[in-house]
Amino acid sequence: MNAVLRTDDAPMPMPLVAQGLKHAYDGHNALLNVDLELHAGSVLGLIGRNGAGKSTLIRALLGLLEPLDGTATVFGDPALHLTDATKARIAYVPQQPEALAWLTAAQMFGYLARFYPRWDAAFVERTLDRWELPGNRMLAKFSPGERQRIDLIRALASQPELLVLDEPAASLDPVARRDLLREVALRAGDAGATVLFSTHIVSDLERVASDIAFLHQGRLLLHCPLDETKERYARLWLPANQSGAAPPHALSRHRQADGSLSLVVGRGDDDQWPAAATLPGARLDALGLEDLFVEIAE
Amino acid sequence: MDASILTIHPASPEPIYRQIVDQLRRLIAAGQLAVGERLPSVRDVAGFHAINPMTVSRAYGLAESEGLLERQRGKGMVVASGPTGSQSARERMQLLEPHLKETARQAQELELPADTVLRRLKHLLGN
Repeated sequence: MNAVLRTDDAPMPMPLVAQGLKHAYDGHNALLNVDLELHAGSVLGLIGRNGAGKSTLIRALLGLLEPLDGTATVFGDPALHLTDATKARIAYVPQQPEALAWLTAAQMFGYLARFYPRWDAAFVERTLDRWELPGNRMLAKFSPGERQRIDLIRALASQPELLVLDEPAASLDPVARRDLLREVALRAGDAGATVLFSTHIVSDLERVASDIAFLHQGRLLLHCPLDETKERYARLWLPANQSGAAPPHALSRHRQADGSLSLVVGRGDDDQWPAAATLPGARLDALGLEDLFVEIAE
Repeated sequence: MDASILTIHPASPEPIYRQIVDQLRRLIAAGQLAVGERLPSVRDVAGFHAINPMTVSRAYGLAESEGLLERQRGKGMVVASGPTGSQSARERMQLLEPHLKETARQAQELELPADTVLRRLKHLLGN
């Protein structure tokens, strides 16, 4: 059930929309014409190698940096001019949280609780305990990984409608990671929360993501429902003597030393694999997300 | 049943919703899930396995449309009565067919003699 109430028949503005985002650092392209839409209740996993532009994209989507070109909106507001009401619906966890370092964790939570009408204090207590984080320690004294865990608790406790996490898994041990994934999954399901999270750990996404987007060298190479990704793409291997028959459209193409060809291909509009898949010696292998990612990003 | 009866392999090329439907089909065919038995809620399965509730809903919906499950008022999803309960050996064999074909393909790639593979399979089956 979707807990987001509608007051009239007008469609709700989408949680996140980006059109033609472009950005560069010191002349190096970081984002090249990125279009992205995030529907309410979806869990989008943003995958990419280190340096692919994931953090830049997230910061541009939320109006934390001004892109060279293109626009982003959050719940219909221009990202660079978010109203306070819209800001209250969002929680963002950066890779390296820095704010309020002079407070203890408990003080910070107590302070923030006043600003969020739906603050879940019981969740804070429970999770601090479970993740073995002492509430009476000053934020500046936590390790970077612990700081990020504190910040994840902060973000989840505010019960946001839009939750944006930048590489949250890096700081978590397997138990805490599973806890986080469970929270993300159930909040999307129960409260209709929308989630965007970036990672280079693909297996995390495979549990909870409804959609995935591959960001590679500043370009969005693939953006579709996760299940569809697994059902619509496969690796086609052609022996050297058949490599001339390779289909023209492929997401990636690698020639091996022996002349054979390895391609990532998709089903056509008619749902069929490219004809080359039926050639003698050809082999079509289903791909997990990690293999697909490696094939495309290499 | 509870959610722990299902095994989820997130990294498998097979989407999670299909893994769930396939497992339900096998468990029901084998009689491990009896007619009328109640399934864990979508939320329980999603929470236990830390997977997206929409994936579980999709699996249940597909299993319902295949006649494996039916929705009962106040009880949620239960194992459907009728033709799906305790299938014939032939029908159950059909469920195994794709896995046998895959095993056969791999055995050929590895150039293993058939009787060696069959001996091992017999052993695994407890004979």
